[in-house]
Amino acid sequence: MLRYVLDRVKSSVVVLLVVSIITFAVLMIIPGDPAQLILGTEATTEMVEELHAAMGLDRPLYQQYLGWLNDLLHLDMGTSYVYGESVKSLITGSLPVTLSISVFAMIIAVFFAFLFGMLSAIKKNSIIDYFSRSIMQLGTAIPSFWIGMVFIVYFGLKLKLFPVSGFVPFSDDFGGFIKSITLPSVVLAIGETGTLLRIVRSSMLDSLNQDYMDMAKVKGLGARKIYIKYALRGALIAPLTIIGMQFAKLAGGTVVVETIFSLPGLGRLVLGAVEHRDIVLLQGLVMFITAMVIFITLAVDVLIMFINPRIKSFQRGE
Amino acid sequence: MKRIIAFLLAAVMLFSMAACSNQENTPNEQPETSAKTALTMGYTTEPEGLDPQRTAAASTFSVTNNIYDTLVSVTSDWEIIPRLAKEWNVSENGMEITFTLRDDVYFHNGRQMTAKDVEYSFNRLKDAESPKAKDYENIVKIEAVDDYNIKFTTETLDVELLKRFAYPWTAIVPEEAADNLKTAPVGTGAFKLKEWNPQQDLTLERNDNYFGEKAKLETVKLVLIPDATSMMASFQVGDLDIIPLTGDQVTMVENNDTYQVISEPMNAVQILSINTDNEILKNEKVRQAMAIAINKDEVIEASMFGYGDKIGSHLPPTSPDYYDTNDMIEYNPEKAKELLKEAGYENGFDINMTLPKNYQLHVDAGQVIADQLGKIGINVNIEIVEWGTWLSDVYTAKKFDTTVVGHTGRLDSYAFLARYKSDSNDYISLKTGEVDQLLSDALKELDENKRTEIYKQIQVILAEKLPAIYLQTPRTMLALQKDVQGMEIFPIDVYDFSTVSFAE
Amino acid sequence: MKKNLSIVIGIILILLILEMWGLSFAYMPYPPNEMNISERFLKPDFDSEHMLGTDNFGRDILSRLMYGSRNVLLVGIGSVTLGTIFGIALGAVAAMLKKAASSVIMRIMDGLMSFPGILLALMIVTVAGKGLKGSIIAIGIFMIPVFARLVYSMILDTENLLYIKAAKSYGTTNRQIFFRHFVPAMLPELVTQYSSSIGSAVMIETSLSFLGLGIQPPYASWGLMLSESRQYFLTYPYLAVAPGIAIIITILGFNLIGDGLNDMLINRRSHDE
Repeated sequence: MLRYVLDRVKSSVVVLLVVSIITFAVLMIIPGDPAQLILGTEATTEMVEELHAAMGLDRPLYQQYLGWLNDLLHLDMGTSYVYGESVKSLITGSLPVTLSISVFAMIIAVFFAFLFGMLSAIKKNSIIDYFSRSIMQLGTAIPSFWIGMVFIVYFGLKLKLFPVSGFVPFSDDFGGFIKSITLPSVVLAIGETGTLLRIVRSSMLDSLNQDYMDMAKVKGLGARKIYIKYALRGALIAPLTIIGMQFAKLAGGTVVVETIFSLPGLGRLVLGAVEHRDIVLLQGLVMFITAMVIFITLAVDVLIMFINPRIKSFQRGE
Repeated sequence: MKRIIAFLLAAVMLFSMAACSNQENTPNEQPETSAKTALTMGYTTEPEGLDPQRTAAASTFSVTNNIYDTLVSVTSDWEIIPRLAKEWNVSENGMEITFTLRDDVYFHNGRQMTAKDVEYSFNRLKDAESPKAKDYENIVKIEAVDDYNIKFTTETLDVELLKRFAYPWTAIVPEEAADNLKTAPVGTGAFKLKEWNPQQDLTLERNDNYFGEKAKLETVKLVLIPDATSMMASFQVGDLDIIPLTGDQVTMVENNDTYQVISEPMNAVQILSINTDNEILKNEKVRQAMAIAINKDEVIEASMFGYGDKIGSHLPPTSPDYYDTNDMIEYNPEKAKELLKEAGYENGFDINMTLPKNYQLHVDAGQVIADQLGKIGINVNIEIVEWGTWLSDVYTAKKFDTTVVGHTGRLDSYAFLARYKSDSNDYISLKTGEVDQLLSDALKELDENKRTEIYKQIQVILAEKLPAIYLQTPRTMLALQKDVQGMEIFPIDVYDFSTVSFAE
Repeated sequence: MKKNLSIVIGIILILLILEMWGLSFAYMPYPPNEMNISERFLKPDFDSEHMLGTDNFGRDILSRLMYGSRNVLLVGIGSVTLGTIFGIALGAVAAMLKKAASSVIMRIMDGLMSFPGILLALMIVTVAGKGLKGSIIAIGIFMIPVFARLVYSMILDTENLLYIKAAKSYGTTNRQIFFRHFVPAMLPELVTQYSSSIGSAVMIETSLSFLGLGIQPPYASWGLMLSESRQYFLTYPYLAVAPGIAIIITILGFNLIGDGLNDMLINRRSHDE
């Protein structure tokens, strides 16, 4: 187990390195120059060149990259030129926002997916099966900014139940915090529940067909106990993998929802860094997000191995 | 099973109760015995740091104008008035200007401001890292005569010199704090920075040691809301006191008891710039055909919902030097086709149009123009690019056929028009050189009336030669809650919160 | 038949879209890009000349919706096909060659999946160009890891089955094993995944349009129409209705078909004794 984790960590470092080089290359490919963006439409060519030099952007690209890498090894992610703040503090500032809405969204999604997924597996082909599946299918089919707008207008503007925009930190005011993340989380959850529900249902069906279920029935265990204790446990693996992937995706930033609800999260930070060609900030963000996604995926895999040790041998074969 | 469901339902209820628990003490419902002193305003673009000499972003200056002061100020009627300087003297030959400073000005850190700080700030404005350095190249000597007198000497005569001291990038900053101004601004202004949460909001608080009349507001909170719908929703809910307004939303707030709308023409022009190095577009007849094939009223309707003024040349109607050239170009698609035929393009041709994504106003206008040009046989391929790409491809590398963009925010006509010099190396210019001599004359003409006459000639030449097709001067619009007073729109991109207050 | 209710509904929904698509080649009420500023923001009215109303440039929404179906289907089917082909190839190579190839390919897939989507899309679109082609390639690349992982794990799952071991011992080449044994075994899963992926591709297209990286104006796609309507959501909300419903129908249709196929082809083997 430990060896497996170590192997994964090792290969993750390689992935990170590759990703950092790609990010640098991307900024080479995409037209646009930070010095120009600072100067705007009243600039002359000489002004751009001078500022370029002053910002250290006239060095060869590999030098800029190695300089950045060297700083990173000294745990310094550099300073964003747009905000004039350290990349570290910008990330720590926006991470709680994105994490809060991602976690809350996953809680909502997991709750409904398991509730209705199990019910529709147990009562396969019943009204409740069709009903819950079609509602959830509809959820996956609705574009998030569309439903986001509807929520803002209906719950924010008409009913005034939730704030229309902005984020209230957890430490400032708990009620306000919950209120400020509810609508965006629900919007995200609507998109994620359908996929998860489908997986829960089918692995629950798989699990219900296993031999030990018949055994349990023969032994005369109560239905509730059978479902919760045996069937559900057997049906956890596949949904857990999906939950991990979904959570990793959300935690990497959710530009659309963050834009609509004016939340200062990671997604918008990435968008801003790209728009301003803020290479230092972008590098830091990409590194951080990629590392986080890799970590979450690894954590989920380890968790799965604990639940079902049989998987271990297969994973090692990789 | 039921137990689990019950438990989860309970959890959900707990959350929603927490969500509702705070309803009673929202800030809106505090007892209002006297007038409010906390203003919130929505804005769409984040400042690029709060250092006035290290950016060219309008979003920065609209904030920093409240934190720092400049030597002189401009009113909403284009009048130059004293600010840090009590008075000023221009030498007989017009090449020296001496400002006498107030002796009661203190920085937010408590130190008194003197002529040394002015000298430092202007040297900082002229150094390599300053985006605006080029504009002040002509100032060759800055000299603190004594503590409260400072003298600027120019290399050549610049009749608009005084106006250059009103721009927000000429703010006076203290040397000891200069390294961190981006995030920790220290100025002399009516407000100081209380808190800035990047991507979220920025709060200013009143400077109680301000030399002038103290601000009536205690705090001004600027909230970043990138989405127009959320912005309007927040305003209607009452979370915001002032918001920038888009054309389609005017109907939602005008003629309404709870809101007011203020609107002024921007000191800006929206133009269809043409690359005259292009084989086809080089032809003056082709450009004239294009100009009369464009229905500007429709462009203004589609891009600004009619809230714009039609123009025929490169100065906005608000400018003191404005001359109306609209009659010279009248919409006439039939004649446009004839002109194309005369130019040898009876069957039309293909051109590209590059539009900057971040500016919906230009993207909308460009699409309408493309459609209108299509009707006379000019097939326009639209490409919408990011602002960064636009700047490097179109503005710097000049790789474009046509583009729609705005040019903004200067107080003197020369700065507006200088790009048309044939040797300006700008992305648009009048390469045939008809305005070169006039522009140099304008800069040296001390008689204001004669100068206006020169600018009139330049505008007429531009309207004839059409190095760009001049579309409109859009309006700046703000929606305010009814009780907000004293908010003004200025000819340069700044806000001044020191005069704003709430009605009792 | 009742079990396949979802497949039936799915097919009906997709037929609706296909009908609109087919009709767009024969007849559209107005040229989809023709502007008419004096008739902009007409509300939907079934008795009028513009049944679904007009947009901010006075273009007929019904015509744009019909024209847009071409782009949506092209992007949806094109990108997923692209992703499937490359995904299967990469996944199969990784699983069958093992060792270095396997870890290199699967690490690249990991990198692709963890790389922030906006940046990836921006990069691809910059290289491939905006518009139809760029959208297909960008979404196609998003889809590759999904298929690569699926194929990879399925091959690892099945390769220890007796008949495959037997084939190997006879000296059958990898390619023969792949096409004769693995492909038939994987087909149900692949078909299911293919159908549901089209749904996600249509969804990604709306996100690309939201970021301005998708189909370029003046041409219409539903994602673009929806993101253009965003600006007028408070003043002219009906603009968002038609493209929104069209997108929902399409995604729902493909997802239901995928779901039905899943029940029919995959789960049947284990559940329906």
